[in-house]
Amino acid sequence: MRIEKHPILTFERGKEIYFIFDGKRIKAFEGETIAAALHADGIIKYNTSPKLHRPRGLFCAVGHCSSCLMTVNGVPNTRICVTRAKEGMIVHSQNPRGDLND
Amino acid sequence: MIETDILVVGGGPAGISAALACGRNNIKTVLIEERDFLGGQLIKQTHRFFGSKEERAGSRGIRIAEDLMNEIKKNKNIDLYLDARALGYYEEEKIFTVLQNGRMLKFSPRKLIIATGAFEKSLSFENNDLPGIYGAGAVQTLMNIYGVKPAERVLMIGSGNIGLIVSYQLIQAGVQVVGVIEAAPEIGGYAVHASKIRRLGVPLYTSHTIKKAIGNEFVTGAEIIELDRNWNEIKGTEKKIDCDCICLSVGLSPLVDILSQSGCEMVYIPELGGEVPVRNENMQTSIDNIYVAGDLAGIEEATAAMLEGELAGLCAANTFINDVKQDERIEKIKNNLEVLRSGPKGSKIRSGLNKLIKGETFFQGGRNTGSEIEAFKKTGIPSGENLRSILPDEKRINETPFALIECFQEIPCDPCVNNCPFGAITEGTDINNLPKIDYSKCTGCGSCISRCPGLAIFLINKNYSENTSTVSMPYEMLPVPQKGEIVDVLDREGKKIVSGKVVKVLKNEKMDKTNVISVEIPKEFFNVARNIRLVK
Amino acid sequence: MMKEDNIIVCRCEDVTLKDIRELIKRGYTNIEEIKRITRCGMGPCQGKNCGQIILREISMITGIPVEKLTLQRYRPPFGGIKFSEVLGENNDEK
Ligand code: SF4
Ligand code: SF4
Ligand code: FES
Repeated sequence: MRIEKHPILTFERGKEIYFIFDGKRIKAFEGETIAAALHADGIIKYNTSPKLHRPRGLFCAVGHCSSCLMTVNGVPNTRICVTRAKEGMIVHSQNPRGDLND
Repeated sequence: MIETDILVVGGGPAGISAALACGRNNIKTVLIEERDFLGGQLIKQTHRFFGSKEERAGSRGIRIAEDLMNEIKKNKNIDLYLDARALGYYEEEKIFTVLQNGRMLKFSPRKLIIATGAFEKSLSFENNDLPGIYGAGAVQTLMNIYGVKPAERVLMIGSGNIGLIVSYQLIQAGVQVVGVIEAAPEIGGYAVHASKIRRLGVPLYTSHTIKKAIGNEFVTGAEIIELDRNWNEIKGTEKKIDCDCICLSVGLSPLVDILSQSGCEMVYIPELGGEVPVRNENMQTSIDNIYVAGDLAGIEEATAAMLEGELAGLCAANTFINDVKQDERIEKIKNNLEVLRSGPKGSKIRSGLNKLIKGETFFQGGRNTGSEIEAFKKTGIPSGENLRSILPDEKRINETPFALIECFQEIPCDPCVNNCPFGAITEGTDINNLPKIDYSKCTGCGSCISRCPGLAIFLINKNYSENTSTVSMPYEMLPVPQKGEIVDVLDREGKKIVSGKVVKVLKNEKMDKTNVISVEIPKEFFNVARNIRLVK
Repeated sequence: MMKEDNIIVCRCEDVTLKDIRELIKRGYTNIEEIKRITRCGMGPCQGKNCGQIILREISMITGIPVEKLTLQRYRPPFGGIKFSEVLGENNDEK
C-alpha cells in the first residue's frame, strides 16, 4: 500500500505508468523501483530459490543481496530493488540462476 | 583518462562531506555514487539528529541531506558521476576504474577517499529467507523514499538506534509495530528513542531472540524465546507473535571490498562492526594515497560520518595545499569527534578505535558509565526515582508552567540548551552531560519541546484550572488533533489513563512538523500523561 | 532442536547452516575452502551476507577467535597487479 499522508514527508510521485509482472498489469509511478511498485500492490514473493525451491522476496533493497532477481525485458538476473519501473516493461519471476521458467 | 585531484567513492553522508570539504577549497574533485541518487542513509532519516549545534543537531537528517546535496550540485569544482560503480584501484599506476552505463572510466586521482558505507548483517534463524523478512534499510527505503508501506504488522529484531528509529518511523507511516526484541539485557540504542516507542505502546522484549519465522509463502508470524545471562535459550519460554513482516536490525558491517582489493591493511575489530581498514587519526590508510571516512571506517552515527568525511577531505587536500586555516579546522573536527564519542554510549567505539593501531591511542579519557538507572536501560521507561530527580520543588510546581526534561542517559546532544531563549537549560562543558534546568529562569515558554531529538521535553501547567492541569507534548503523528477535541491520554507505556481535552495545538514552520499538543487532564495525572491517541 | 537445514546462510547459492556445519566438522576450517565447495560468497552478493556467519561458525566449532580467522583469509590482493596486465595496454583512451 502506498502512504498517502505522512506526518513528516511528502511524496512527489511521477507519472502513472503500467508494467506487466507474470501476466498481471501493475501500476507504478515514474521513479519507483519495480520492487516498490510490486510491494504497493501487495506482491512480496518474487521468485523461488534454485536448489531448495524456497520462496524469496525483497531483502536488502539496495542491490546487495541478490534476493530479488527477476527477468526484466528479457534480461535475466536483474535486481528489481534498484531497477526503476518503466511503461510497458515485461517482468518475470525466475530462479536466481536466470533460467526462465516459461 | 580523467585527471582529478581527489576522487571520492560513495555519495552518502561521509562521501558528500568529503567532496564538499575539497570542493569548497577549490580543489578538483570527482564524486562517484553507485546508485542514481545521492544521500545514502541520510535521505531516509526523518528524525532529528543528536550532536551539537555546529553539526546541526536538532535538524532532521533529510533536511541536512537536502542542503548538502544542493551544495554539491552548485559547486563547480565537484564532478558528480551517478550510477557509477567502483571497480578497483591499481596502486602502481594510480588508476581507479569505474563502470558507468556499461562503460569503463579510468581516473587518475592524486588522492582517493573511500566512503562506501556499510551493509546490514543477517541473522541465523529458521526460515530466515522467507518473503517478509527485510533488513531495516530495506524497510526505510520502501517507506521513506518510495512512500510504500512495507507491511501492516512488523516485528523489529534489534534495539540499536536503527531498530528504535525505524520502529518509530513505521508507526509514523501508519504501520503497527508489534514488538521490538533485543538479545542483550539492555536496550542497544539511546533510551530516549526507546521511550518514544514505549509511549506509543510498543512492547520491548530484552533478553529475547527470534527462533523462527512462521509461514509458507510469506511471513505470518514469528516465534521468539527468552535468553538467560549466558545467551542460552530458556526452554518453555517460546512465544508466538503474529506479524506479516520481520525487520532485521542487528547491526552493520563495513563495506570494505574496494579497500581490501586495493591492498590496504585490514584488521578485524568487532566494536567497529567487523573488518575495517587500519588508519591514522587523519583518516589515512596504510596506502598513503587512500583515505577513508564514515561507516566503512567503523560503524557510527551519521553525524560522526559527516565529520569524518570533512576530516578526510581536508587532510587529503592538505597534502597539496597546506593551508593554516584548514589546519585549525582539522583540529576542531578532531576535537568535535572526540567529544561526540566521549560519553558512556561512545565506549564501544572508543575501545574499537583504540585497538585500531598498536601504539596509537585515540582516546585517553571518556566515560564508560553514566548516571542513569538500571531499569530505564531495560525498559526505556523512567523509574519513579528518575522522575523524582528532575521535578522542581513543590512551590515551583504550583507557580507557573515549567518544562520537564525526561532525558536520563548521557548522550552527546544539546539542542535543548541552544534552544531555550532564556538560558534556563545547561549541560556544563560536556555535551554528554545530562541537561539541567534552572527553574528560576524557566518561563514555561515551551520553545524547547519541539527541538529535542529525543522528544523528551514536556511542559506542565499544574494549576490550569482548579481541578485540572495541562501537559504539552511533542506530537509527530497523523492526524493532528483539533483544538477542543477529546482524546485518549496515555502514560509512558502507551496505556490509556483518562480522556482529555486538547486545549492548544501549536505548529509552525520553525517547528518543522514536531507539533506541540496541550491536553487538559485531572490534576493527579500531570506527571503520568505523556502521549495522546485520537479517538476514532 | 533448531532445524539447521531451514536456516539459509547464502541466498545466492541456497547454502544452509547445516551444510556449513557439516563441512566444518569434516575438517574444512578455512573460509576460502568452504566458499569454493559451497560456492557461498561467489554469487552476486559477493559474500556480504554469508561471510560473517561462516566465520562465526568456524570460530565456534574450532575455538579459533574470529580475528585470527580473518587474518588467514587475506590473499594477495589484486592491488599488486598492474592495470595494463589486466586490460592489455593502451586499449581504450576514454
Ligand atoms: S520552557 Fe522555555 S524557558 Fe523553560 S526551559 Fe523550555 S525553552 Fe527554556
Ligand atoms: S533533552 Fe536535550 S540532551 Fe536530552 S535528548 Fe533532548 S535535546 Fe538532547
Ligand atoms: S533485495 Fe537485495 S539485491 Fe535486491
